[in-house]
Amino acid sequence: MLRITGGKVYDPANNVNGVIKDICIDGGRIVAAADESLGAEAPRAKAARAIDASGMLVFPGGVDVHTHVAGGALNFARGLVPENQRAARKFLHSKDRRAGLGGMTPTTFATGYLYAGMGWTTVNEAAVPVLTAKHTHEELHDTPIVDKSALLLMANNEMVLDLLEAGEGERARHVVAWLIWAAKVYGVKAVNPGGVAAWKWGKNASALHETFEGYTSLTPAKIIAGLAQIVDELRLPHPLHLHCNNLGVPGNVATTVETMKVLEGRRAHLAHLQFHAYGGDGWSNMHSEAAAVAEAFNRHTNLTCDAGAVLFGDAVTITADGPWQHLLYQLTGRKWGNLDVENETGCGIVPYVYKDRSLVNAVQWAVGLELMLLITDPWRVFLTTDHPNGGCFWRYPEIVQLLMDVEFRKEQVRRLPEAAQKRIVLGDLDRKYSLSEIAIITSAGPARALGMANKGHLGVGADADVAIYPEHPDEDGFLFSYPRYVLKGGEIVVEEGDVIGGSEGREFIVRPEYDAAIEAYIRPLFQQAYTISFDNYPVALERLRHPEQVNLPTKSA
Amino acid sequence: MIYWGGNPAECHPRHFTKYTLTQKGRFVPLGRKGRTMVLVDIRETPSAKAADIFLQIRPGKDFEMATALRAIVKGHPVDTALVEETGLTVAQLQDLADRMKRAKFGVIFFGMGLSMTRGKHMNSGAILTLAAEMNAFTKFVCMPMRGHGNVTGADVVLRYTTGYPFGVSLSRGFPRFNPGEFSTIDLLVRGDNDAALILGADPGATMPQPAIDHLSRIPTIVLDPKVTHTSRLARVHITTAPTGISAPGTVYRMDEVPLPLRPALASPFPTDEDVIRRIRLAVAARPAWEPPAHVTMAIA
Repeated sequence: MLRITGGKVYDPANNVNGVIKDICIDGGRIVAAADESLGAEAPRAKAARAIDASGMLVFPGGVDVHTHVAGGALNFARGLVPENQRAARKFLHSKDRRAGLGGMTPTTFATGYLYAGMGWTTVNEAAVPVLTAKHTHEELHDTPIVDKSALLLMANNEMVLDLLEAGEGERARHVVAWLIWAAKVYGVKAVNPGGVAAWKWGKNASALHETFEGYTSLTPAKIIAGLAQIVDELRLPHPLHLHCNNLGVPGNVATTVETMKVLEGRRAHLAHLQFHAYGGDGWSNMHSEAAAVAEAFNRHTNLTCDAGAVLFGDAVTITADGPWQHLLYQLTGRKWGNLDVENETGCGIVPYVYKDRSLVNAVQWAVGLELMLLITDPWRVFLTTDHPNGGCFWRYPEIVQLLMDVEFRKEQVRRLPEAAQKRIVLGDLDRKYSLSEIAIITSAGPARALGMANKGHLGVGADADVAIYPEHPDEDGFLFSYPRYVLKGGEIVVEEGDVIGGSEGREFIVRPEYDAAIEAYIRPLFQQAYTISFDNYPVALERLRHPEQVNLPTKSA
Repeated sequence: MIYWGGNPAECHPRHFTKYTLTQKGRFVPLGRKGRTMVLVDIRETPSAKAADIFLQIRPGKDFEMATALRAIVKGHPVDTALVEETGLTVAQLQDLADRMKRAKFGVIFFGMGLSMTRGKHMNSGAILTLAAEMNAFTKFVCMPMRGHGNVTGADVVLRYTTGYPFGVSLSRGFPRFNPGEFSTIDLLVRGDNDAALILGADPGATMPQPAIDHLSRIPTIVLDPKVTHTSRLARVHITTAPTGISAPGTVYRMDEVPLPLRPALASPFPTDEDVIRRIRLAVAARPAWEPPAHVTMAIA
């Protein structure tokens, strides 16, 4: 048994807000502290090890609800930007650690060390094509320490779209369920519904209620409603994870608010909302519409979202939103990679620099923070940068600082070009996040949205994922940059500030119910349209080294 | 569909029939009849028979042709004399540009006749840029025709473990990348390495003589199912089960789609993976290597 003593505990899921109490760990789980009432001496003597956390903050390990840390697209990006790798933080090979590089697109081993080194212990890879899911699992396996889940790209899969167009919702549900199990993933992602399919023709889908290239009656709105319904009917732990249409486009606030209407009556998670909250009709008059988006979002309690905040500096944009990436390539004139994934999705990659002198970038920087401040319920908005799109995940502590320190934030706003200050509302916002709210948006909230009952809290039975931060960091560090200790599944993975390695971490997967006969329906369609053999399409369960199948609630429940 | 500097009919014999030319697709129901194929090469290879249009260019003029084509696509004027140095006429390039723009979905496959001849990476850069710029008019993509075996798989795994596709040095404890310095031929020709472990390759058959000479000077260990040029010059040849026939694994197609390999026949020999794992365990069981005192002194 291991005991963490004397720390100030922030465990919002269990209504613990800065209380000094002990946390006891056994068998990788949090166990009941034989606590205060019994007198601390006896159990303390029994503990194999005690960590003295006095003067420190004890948080549940961070949970990243939306990140891109593994897969063919990210790996393409690594090859595209060797100049970034050269400048990246180096991870030296040692007895406990593998070699690697940090930077914009960290290598797999470094990804695990960087997340753990910041106190994050669970990550959700938000974009997996079925066709290359085998590869994504290889990378996830080589990402140490953290537990993982992954979401399957479904909103441009032609087999699913054809069924939705034909109004065959039930058969579509069986196909989606079959694909989820074939890819060994945790949930469903929708990226620019219809737009990526249209991109195969060099087109986009920018109007929610209009049809797009290749289809006669199907619209993005129908795909969104159809998939949200399927995810609910399959009772997946995480709702439909949606990247709305018109990402990054001035004036896209209308699309975003309309999408919320389409989703009424269904659960959904809106990804990187920052990229979807702009007004204006061109780059010259683009401005923040965070207030309008937050107002609509606050009313739609069926939804959660993550910020997708932007930080100034280097980034690499990687998204299945192919048409947007072509536009970004034309805007920047920089490198561009495009991957079309047969009949199911696509991807674009463009290196990018967010500059504080750029009006557009300044607006983007502000909008991410504005959304986190204007959305009133911290249980519905989570800290992300859509890594590596808006900035790297290892810069999260900078965003925490901006949320917690109003004066620091206002000082940053004052440094923006005056023209940019007129296009945002951030300078007028006085909300200050409390430590408890930070624990919600970084851990408790995303764990709840992902439907991971044993993550994001420190109650009895929870996974012993714990981050312990010094209450007063060094002058050059942000509050959450350097945890003193991090525990993952009860194992100490950061000690005295150093990542000392750790086990491989698990992969959460689900097996939704489907009619076994659906395979006979899929097989001939697949053989006509794809270039690999149908039997090579699914990921064999044996390819996953540490799978953990999460049971879905039964119908009656 | 444009093949440039490659001869798929002989080098990638399944490419036409399985992936590109003859297959009927959802949006190309006529198969071969629904497609136009152009071959650009310096000589009339057997692949020319498959093409609708064969454009024979002068050796070493790929960069010039790609650049002229980019200009024509954008409607810029071109110097007729410069274009004719490539062996083609402006009218031929204009026709090609028009066809490319009319395509619903265009693709350029380029081979080593482009990427490894005069101009090298600049040639690759020029036609990758051409494909990118074509997207202002229609959908266009570009893809290299990779070599034999699982070269793409090696590239993929090196990228996610070290951040770089090839030419990686781990000698300082973290990955560094510098083609020309850390790439295999350069290391061997300079004689920088004092041992070699070779898997899934036969450099003795393909590399320049000074590189081969160095391999025969140093302790070279080869893992291979067969006797090869390299195994003959090696100090140690460990016979392994052929991957894909007797050993399972994953192979990456040249578009980076992973495919599982299921062994069809049993083999008395261990797999490459078994051998490497046993070597690694045996090395780990020995005390760590420390530089001798005089070396440490010299560094200090």
